[in-house]
Amino acid sequence: MVSYPVLLIAVPLLIAFLLPLSKKYASSIAFGTLAFNMGLSIALFFNVYGSGKTYEIIAGFAPPIGIFLAIDSLSAFMALIINLFAFINFYGIGKGKDYKFSMLYLLATAGSTGIVITGDIFNMFVFFEITAVASYALIASKKNEKGLEGAIKYMVLGSIASSFILIGIALIYSQLKSLNLYDIASRIQNMSSNLKWISFSFLLTGIGVEAEIFPLNGWVPDAYQGASSGIASLLSFGPSKAAIYAIARILLTIFPYHSTYEIALYIGVITLVIGELAAFMQEDVKRMLAYSSIGQMGLILIAVSLASQGLKYALMAAFFLIISHASAKSSLFLLSKDEKMNGIAEKYTGILSVLTLIGMPPMAGFWGKWYLMLASISYRLWIVIILIFFSGIVEAGYFARYLYRSFGEGGGEEKRYKAAMVTIATFSIIFGLLPLIYKIASLQLWGGV
Amino acid sequence: MNFSSILLPSYIAVAALLSIGLYGVIAKKNLLKIFISLSIMETGVNLLLITIGYVPGGTAPIENGNFAKYVDPLPQALVLTAIVIGVSVTALALSLLISYYSKTKSLEYKGGMKW
Repeated sequence: MVSYPVLLIAVPLLIAFLLPLSKKYASSIAFGTLAFNMGLSIALFFNVYGSGKTYEIIAGFAPPIGIFLAIDSLSAFMALIINLFAFINFYGIGKGKDYKFSMLYLLATAGSTGIVITGDIFNMFVFFEITAVASYALIASKKNEKGLEGAIKYMVLGSIASSFILIGIALIYSQLKSLNLYDIASRIQNMSSNLKWISFSFLLTGIGVEAEIFPLNGWVPDAYQGASSGIASLLSFGPSKAAIYAIARILLTIFPYHSTYEIALYIGVITLVIGELAAFMQEDVKRMLAYSSIGQMGLILIAVSLASQGLKYALMAAFFLIISHASAKSSLFLLSKDEKMNGIAEKYTGILSVLTLIGMPPMAGFWGKWYLMLASISYRLWIVIILIFFSGIVEAGYFARYLYRSFGEGGGEEKRYKAAMVTIATFSIIFGLLPLIYKIASLQLWGGV
Repeated sequence: MNFSSILLPSYIAVAALLSIGLYGVIAKKNLLKIFISLSIMETGVNLLLITIGYVPGGTAPIENGNFAKYVDPLPQALVLTAIVIGVSVTALALSLLISYYSKTKSLEYKGGMKW
C-alpha cells in the first residue's frame, strides 16, 4: 500500500489559504479536507502497521541534508488520533461557522500533524509556531474578555517557549551542523556535554509550555476556560498531544540517557500530583477539566520517560494513556457546553469518559494505567505506583462530584454535536478492546530505542 | 561553539538581548511593553543563529567562481523563517491587544496567576 504522508500537511495548508476565495462554502470545503486527511492518516496507520516504519523525502535531497518525513509507529498513531478526532470534532462544531474559523481549524490540524510526522527539528519548530498561532486566534475567537485573556496569556508564554526551542535548536546546530532528528541522534555523543545539557533544558522547557507540564502550565486553565467548548476539545487532542509527542521524540531519540529520563520522570510525577490536587479544588467545570488534563499529561510524561529506557510496557502505556486522554477529555470538553447533562447521549458520554479517565476496565485508560504499573514494577518505582493509585482516587473524587452535580433534565443540543461527542467518547472503549496497539507498540521506532 | 575573540561581542549582545527581553516579560505589567520585550528576545535568538553560522573572514555564500571561505548559509535561511514567524506573532498579538483594550479600556493584564 502506497501512501503520501506529505499530503497530510500540504493539502490542509493549501486549502486553508484558498478558503477566503470561497467564503460561502468554506465550512463544507474544510470538512471535505479533514475527511481526506482522516482517510489518508488511516491508510498511513495501516501501512505502518503492516510493514513497519516508512519515510518520504521532500524535494529530492537525500537526508541528512534534505528534509524528510519519518513515520514510525508512534508518529503514525499520533497522526491517526489527531486527524480522526479533528474530523469528528469539526463535524460536530463546524456547521455554520465562517471561513476564518475553518481556516484556523485547518491550520491547527495541519500544524499538529506536521509536528508528529516530521523528521527535521527545525520543521518541528515551524509547525509548533503554525499550531500555536492558530490556537491563539481560535481561543480568542469567542471575542469575550475571558477568551482574550486566555489567548494573551498563552501567547506570551508560547512566544517565550518558541524562543527557547529555537535556542535549543541553534545550540545543537552549532556543534553538529545538522537539523535532521535522526542524524543528530546518531552523533549526539560528539557534542560537548555542557552544551548537550543546556540544549536539552531549553528544548524541554520550550516544548513543556505547549505540553502543559508543571510549572510551565499557567496558561492552561485560562485558555481552556476562555475558549469555546469545541476549541477546548481541539486543544486537548491536537496541539497538546503533538507537544507530548515532541517531548517523547526528544527523550526517546535524541537524549536517551539515564539522567534525562530521571528529570522527565520527576517532572511527570510533580505534574501529576499538582494537576490532580488543583483539579480537586476547582469549582468551574472547564477549569477542573483543564487541571485534570495537566495531571493526565504528567501521567503520559511518566510513561514516556520510562519508555525512553527501552521498556515496551511503558510505550504501550503511553499509547493507551494518549488515546484515553484524547478521547475522554475532548468529549468532556464538548459536553461542558451545557452545565447539565440532559439526554441519554450526554449521560453516556459523561459516564464513559469519566470511567476511562479513572481507569476502569475494559477502557483504554485502564490498560494505560495497568501497563504503566507493570513498567514501574519492573523498575521498582514504588512511589510511582502509589501515585497512580492516589491519582485514580482523587480523580474518582472530583469526577463523582462532577457527575453528581451535572445530572439533570433540560433542553438538548443539536444532533450533529451529540453524534460527534458520543463517537469521540466511544473511541476510548474501542481502542481498549482492539489488540491494534499491542502490535504497534512492538514495531521498530525510527532511531531505535 | 568557538569563542574566537572576534565573535565575543556578538555573543555578549545575544546574552544582553535575551536577558533584557526576559526581564521585560517578567517585570512589566503593560501588555504592549511585554510584546516589545518578546520581540527583543526574538532578536536575540536570531542574532545567536547568525553568530553561530559566521565564519571569520568568510564572504557571502554566493557562487561567483572565486570564493574559498564563506559563512554557513543555513542559519541565515533559518533566521529568515524565524523573522517571518516573529512578525506574524507580533501582528496577531497587537490585534488581540486592540480587542482586549476595546473590551477592558486598559492595556494592563488583570487576570494574573490564579489557581
